[in-house]
Amino acid sequence: MSDVEAPVLRDLQSAATSHRGDRIFNRTIAAAAFTALIVLGGITIFLGAQAIPVLQQQGLAFLTTSEWNPPDYGIWGMLYGSVLLAIIALVIAVPASLLLSVFMVFLAPKPLATVLTNLVDLMAAIPSVIIGLWAFYVLAPVSEGWQQLMNQYLGWIPIFQNDSGNFSGTPFTAGFVLAIMMIPIVTSVTREVLGRTPPELINASEALGCSLWSMLRYVALPYGRGGLVGGVMLGLGRALGETIAVFFVLKIVFDPVNYYKIIESGGGSVATLIVSKFGEASGPYETQLLLAAGFFLFMMTLVVNVIANLIVNRTGRLQS
Amino acid sequence: MSSTIVFDAETIPALTEQKPQTPWGRRTGKFRLVVVLAIVIPALIVGSLFMFSTLPGAVIMVAVYFPLQIIATVLAAISVRGTKSAGDAVIIVSAIGATIFSGIVLISLLWSIITKGIQAMSMAFIFQNNEYISPSTPLGYGGIGHAVLGTVLIVGISALIAVPLGVMTALYITEVRGRAVPYVRFFVQAMSGVPSVVAGLFILTVLILTGVLNNSAFAAGLAYSILMLPTVARTAEEVLKLVPEELRTGALALGSTRARVALRVVVPAAKTGIITAAILGVARVVGETAPLLLTALKNDKTVLNPFSEPISALPTYIFTNVAQPYPDAVLRAWGAALALMVIVAVLFTVTRVLSAKRPGK
Repeated sequence: MSDVEAPVLRDLQSAATSHRGDRIFNRTIAAAAFTALIVLGGITIFLGAQAIPVLQQQGLAFLTTSEWNPPDYGIWGMLYGSVLLAIIALVIAVPASLLLSVFMVFLAPKPLATVLTNLVDLMAAIPSVIIGLWAFYVLAPVSEGWQQLMNQYLGWIPIFQNDSGNFSGTPFTAGFVLAIMMIPIVTSVTREVLGRTPPELINASEALGCSLWSMLRYVALPYGRGGLVGGVMLGLGRALGETIAVFFVLKIVFDPVNYYKIIESGGGSVATLIVSKFGEASGPYETQLLLAAGFFLFMMTLVVNVIANLIVNRTGRLQS
Repeated sequence: MSSTIVFDAETIPALTEQKPQTPWGRRTGKFRLVVVLAIVIPALIVGSLFMFSTLPGAVIMVAVYFPLQIIATVLAAISVRGTKSAGDAVIIVSAIGATIFSGIVLISLLWSIITKGIQAMSMAFIFQNNEYISPSTPLGYGGIGHAVLGTVLIVGISALIAVPLGVMTALYITEVRGRAVPYVRFFVQAMSGVPSVVAGLFILTVLILTGVLNNSAFAAGLAYSILMLPTVARTAEEVLKLVPEELRTGALALGSTRARVALRVVVPAAKTGIITAAILGVARVVGETAPLLLTALKNDKTVLNPFSEPISALPTYIFTNVAQPYPDAVLRAWGAALALMVIVAVLFTVTRVLSAKRPGK
């Protein structure tokens, strides 16, 4: 063996960065790389600056009451409504996405799986305003019929109560639309996570006589648990921030807050509130209220997304 | 073992005649019968319900056929393979059910966009603007020309801002490799979760309410670029990572500086991938509506100046025409949706073609 020590790449790099052109290049690129931080910080500071006077004037009631009558404003109903819609969407979209990705990874023949992957990606690319248009004219009438049936046969369950007989603009329809938008996002992550289950483990479990069900239950799902949870939370972040598709199918109601009657007309969503009230905002103060509402929406989605990304990153890098 | 055992095919005739045994793949007469029964019986019951009951078809499929098919498959599985296979039957039928459900949603979406959008299409609809047009004006007059121009202008401005910044962010992660790489990556991920309405509010409060910018295409382009940057940065990072390390070390060994390696070797090598990243970024934002409603507002005239006045784009055109009481206005919304969908589909296909080529580069 030779006695000559090869310089490691690190040394080469530091030697190279002593070059003046390189220093300029590195600093320019590093400055550009912090755009993301600047934008996130800017949103926090500038929207936060609008939220402070609102909180001073309205007090905590801005977050805990539900009202939009001058001079009293409160967005509790909207915050709660956003979470309720997201839960409805999760209940529909998570099983659907998991089953869809199980079909694509373990059941479908390879050519069919490729076609389905492309179709799911195409579904993810459909703009939300088009989904909203479709939901308003095609889905909502169908959904009303189904909700009447649910009320007729399952009305004894509290969540399927409906006292008004009005089935339009319900949280259920809005949650369903959100679910349709979440399915491709969640599926693209869960498909990749399930597809990464090591084939040795799958083969070993089959050699031990496991059925598909026990392979999923004891091998694939535990192996990909982190990625699956992260994927669902990424979808949740999207659902909380979605504006336009919900705007067309949800009737915004401040008082009384619709806590659990998901097929009763009327609900809330912070993002939709901002768009629907912005056009008719009566003055700078109402605009400021909407900016404050946007600040709390941003904080809510930021927390969900950061947790989701931490979980996904811990389980290895994924494209999404 | 000193002596080797020789398996001679001729001495063991059974080996030449038999294929390897696969007991799990054996299809006996009973198996075939059970499979046929599990398919035919639910279909017969549902078929007779369709003929003789007044229940709507969708209700029959969801409330009767789906549970019935699960029960039939479970019974079939138990009778052939034993009780352990019951779970498999449930999973398989539900997975196929979920796939069909998603397929129906996608087909319904595309079908309604195409069949309704095509009714609005005409040369006038594509090229004229919406000036002097009210919601009740018949379809022969006015169209989306100004909105298409608006979309091109706004998306173009945002691409000019976000693509260089996104590629530079990716270059920082793959080429400069500074100490802040994990943080930069984390912030880019966090930025990809910014709701579109918040991006609009940010530009509104920083630049429009302070009087720096008018409600204009440029303001909307800035809001779009906030949404576009993370997509470009993450995709560009993926493709820059595919550039072989040997290209970098080779160029360095020839005496090139790091900056030249990045700009003259790595970026040209990943050219197709970077174009894909830019197109994916454009596809991500082209249908976003909420930021436009807050920053660009709407305008029925054709606007070419990106700084002067409010401007319409395809999403805002759709938004203003939904829920109008006039059928022709609603058809305008569907027509604009078809135009937007065609743009998205073209971008989608281009990225697929480009990324299919990439391994050969």
